[in-house]
Amino acid sequence: MLLTSSVSIKMPLFGKSQKSPAEVVKALKEAVNALERGDKKVEKAQEDVSKNLLLIKNMLYGTSDTEPQTDIIVAQLAQELYNSNLLLMLIQNLNRIEFEGKKDVAQVFNNILRRQIGTRSPTVEYICTKPEILFTLMNGYEHQDIALNCGTMLRECARYEALAKIMLHSEDFFNFFRYVEVSTFDIASDAFSTFKELLTRHKMLCADFLELNYDKVFSHYQRLLNSENYVTRRQSLKLLGELLLDRHNFTVMTRYISNPDNLKLMMNMLKEKSRNIQFEAFHVFKVFVANPNKPKPILDILLRNQDKLVEFLTKFHTDRSEDEQFNDEKAYLIKQIRELKALPDH
Amino acid sequence: MDYCPRASCHPYYIKISPGIMPPGSPGIFRRKSASSDEATLSSTLLRNDTVDYLKMSGAHVPWPNTKEDYDLKEVIGVGATAVVHAAYCKPRQEKCAIKRINLEKWNTSMEELLKEIQAMSSCNHENVVTYYTSFVVREELWLVLRLLEGGSLLDIIKHKMRATNCKHGVFDEATIATVLKEVLKGLEYFHSNGQIHRDIKAGNILLGEDGTVQIADFGVSAWLATGRDLSRQKVRHTFVGTPCWMAPEVMEQDHGYDFKADIWSFGITAIEMATGTAPYHKYPPMKVLMLTLQNDPPTLDTGAEDKDQYRVYGKTFRKMIIDCLQKDPTRRPTATELLKHPFFKKAKDRKYLQQTLVAIGPSLETRVQKASKRQPGTSGRLHRTVTGEWVWSSEEEGGLSSDEEGAEKPMNNIGGGDLSSGSEKDLTEIDGGTQLNLVLRMRIPNLLTYIVIEDLDENAKRELNDIRFEFVVGKDSAEGIASELVGAGLVDPRDIVVIAANLQKLINSYGNLVSVTFPLNSGIAPNETASEAALIGFAAISILD
Repeated sequence: MLLTSSVSIKMPLFGKSQKSPAEVVKALKEAVNALERGDKKVEKAQEDVSKNLLLIKNMLYGTSDTEPQTDIIVAQLAQELYNSNLLLMLIQNLNRIEFEGKKDVAQVFNNILRRQIGTRSPTVEYICTKPEILFTLMNGYEHQDIALNCGTMLRECARYEALAKIMLHSEDFFNFFRYVEVSTFDIASDAFSTFKELLTRHKMLCADFLELNYDKVFSHYQRLLNSENYVTRRQSLKLLGELLLDRHNFTVMTRYISNPDNLKLMMNMLKEKSRNIQFEAFHVFKVFVANPNKPKPILDILLRNQDKLVEFLTKFHTDRSEDEQFNDEKAYLIKQIRELKALPDH
Repeated sequence: MDYCPRASCHPYYIKISPGIMPPGSPGIFRRKSASSDEATLSSTLLRNDTVDYLKMSGAHVPWPNTKEDYDLKEVIGVGATAVVHAAYCKPRQEKCAIKRINLEKWNTSMEELLKEIQAMSSCNHENVVTYYTSFVVREELWLVLRLLEGGSLLDIIKHKMRATNCKHGVFDEATIATVLKEVLKGLEYFHSNGQIHRDIKAGNILLGEDGTVQIADFGVSAWLATGRDLSRQKVRHTFVGTPCWMAPEVMEQDHGYDFKADIWSFGITAIEMATGTAPYHKYPPMKVLMLTLQNDPPTLDTGAEDKDQYRVYGKTFRKMIIDCLQKDPTRRPTATELLKHPFFKKAKDRKYLQQTLVAIGPSLETRVQKASKRQPGTSGRLHRTVTGEWVWSSEEEGGLSSDEEGAEKPMNNIGGGDLSSGSEKDLTEIDGGTQLNLVLRMRIPNLLTYIVIEDLDENAKRELNDIRFEFVVGKDSAEGIASELVGAGLVDPRDIVVIAANLQKLINSYGNLVSVTFPLNSGIAPNETASEAALIGFAAISILD
């Protein structure tokens, strides 16, 4: 794989001779530089960027008339992209690239990222040495015009544990708590799916992260659950349920369900106006009740509300008759709550 | 900003909602008090100041994300979970359309919704609906889109069929070629983006006053994909879609499908533009599935009453339709290939469409008054009143009945389950003409959710399904509806009586009873155990709120 840029393989394309990877990368880099400088010839630079991006995209993906390039050419291309630092430059200048070009950057990036040699992922290794790429991408959520493109690339990165780890353990990760709540729905939702990917994809990594950063994460998380934005509230509640019910997060779950404030919050959410939020809250609430070792403060709250809870749950979402699991769980909770007894005083 | 041509002059390019907002400009982040807004980057300008500043400087005002910045005008479309309004964006001083999606009623996952909105926002093409921004208002998602005042092609077809004799064809070939060429360009862009529309039909093709043609509603109405397409033709009461535009491989569902499915739907749309309807529009959904799968592909003459009825249409046009409607998807041309078809040499320009379509179409006002119940791709009549309740308006489906012209009666906020407003009416007394919305919940074989099994296996898993329908008091009969459900292939004929009886019971006890559960005559499948709770061997009918 040690191909140098001096090796240039020319392939005919539409009868014309095609630029070698080295040539395209060089041309693209020059164009991006011109764009960054913001000379008067911005339009020309933009055009050049788009044109060369398209060439690279077609090398990787092929077109309706041409096949993707051979592995050798692609390896060469990847090497050129690493050596030229172009991946970072493209991301840093993404807002200056025109609409279709932005999408091409994401496609090129994701393709190069997925490239494998045996079990190795050379681009992942490369990015590990250049984490700035990741931070620049995460910062992309600050900018409306590139947020979704950055999101596409970030989620691809998040599939690799090494890259997910860098992102999770960076201070920038906590910016996601802000991004998932921005007013533009598609951006907030995109940020949310990246956020979710980072918190759920690599089980051990995520569990370690949550345990290590429990206080910070859940104090931030509390704000999402109390958000004024209905979608934020509903989505974060659903994710909370998933996180707590994942057996890898046992320690985190135990800690979460020992805190009476968390129980109170869920009990309030059970009574929210939105049925969807009620339903998601049920799936968190049940963990508190099902806990065989309820701490005293939790038990006290449940006992104080014993009758009311039984009555409430009996009438809760009775029209979900087809959802057997839900009905079983509900019946179990009612039974558990009915049979609750105060701890003997010591 | 570095790009973004003048939005006001070139409406097609405004879509670059990304481009018009300076990176990090305030307004993107949801902060109510701007003073505590250190989070939103360098700019210290308050939102409104920014607006003024941008106005003064001649820069573009970004599409705002607060409902106060928009004046909602008339309802121009209504679906099961969404309402579309014409609207006016105050800071930009510009018209737009706002689609309000009720997220509490949205059955599909939020992820699905996001995917579709991202699909829309990753498009920047003059033939694809222009998306500006989206934001959450209480339990609703508001999508801000370009307003296309000409309405949908379906509106125009229906209007023309009412106004003139269209027996020998609705539009001339030049009009059809011009519209379809624009649609194809949109599809080509779409497909090059790796997207499939899945619901190409006249109802989803919108026209601007200037003759612009845009493909709309991709997937935000993903009902089709989830088997919940709410469009219907003449099966008036059932809420199950008629898959008239659906490619055979989509119906079969076992191999998955690709963008060639859109080419099939495109071919059906071509027939629709000539004859006014999709070829099998007269049949109930199950029948359409069977006809599509078993018969040779439809042609212009499939739905014709007389031989030679559509002789005005030439060979080139017919050949183009045949190319699109090949059962083997791999043999259908791509959008790019199809654009080179000789038929599209007949295409003219936007001006031509202004004359042949926009000018003859119903005015926005007419549509609002008359057809505010229908939104492309849906049949629903649900819409929201000023007070915020969801209500159903009266039955009206173009071309169906003679009484429709005068039938506009916004009505029946019958508030059966209406908790929010104190209902002052005595609910037990229902007037004739009152429309009740009901749902029949029962298990039906997979067959009926668009998965076609050649020989219906007795043991095929029977899924719970909600069949929604309306009942107009004084106009509908329980027997009539029950037999319609049977006719649509949704209900076993053995259950017709028991369903009719229980429907009648529910209507009679209106106000006291909201739901009945009853055993079915058809019994249970051999591998099932009857259960009233799980609705195995039982069905339930409920009145919706």
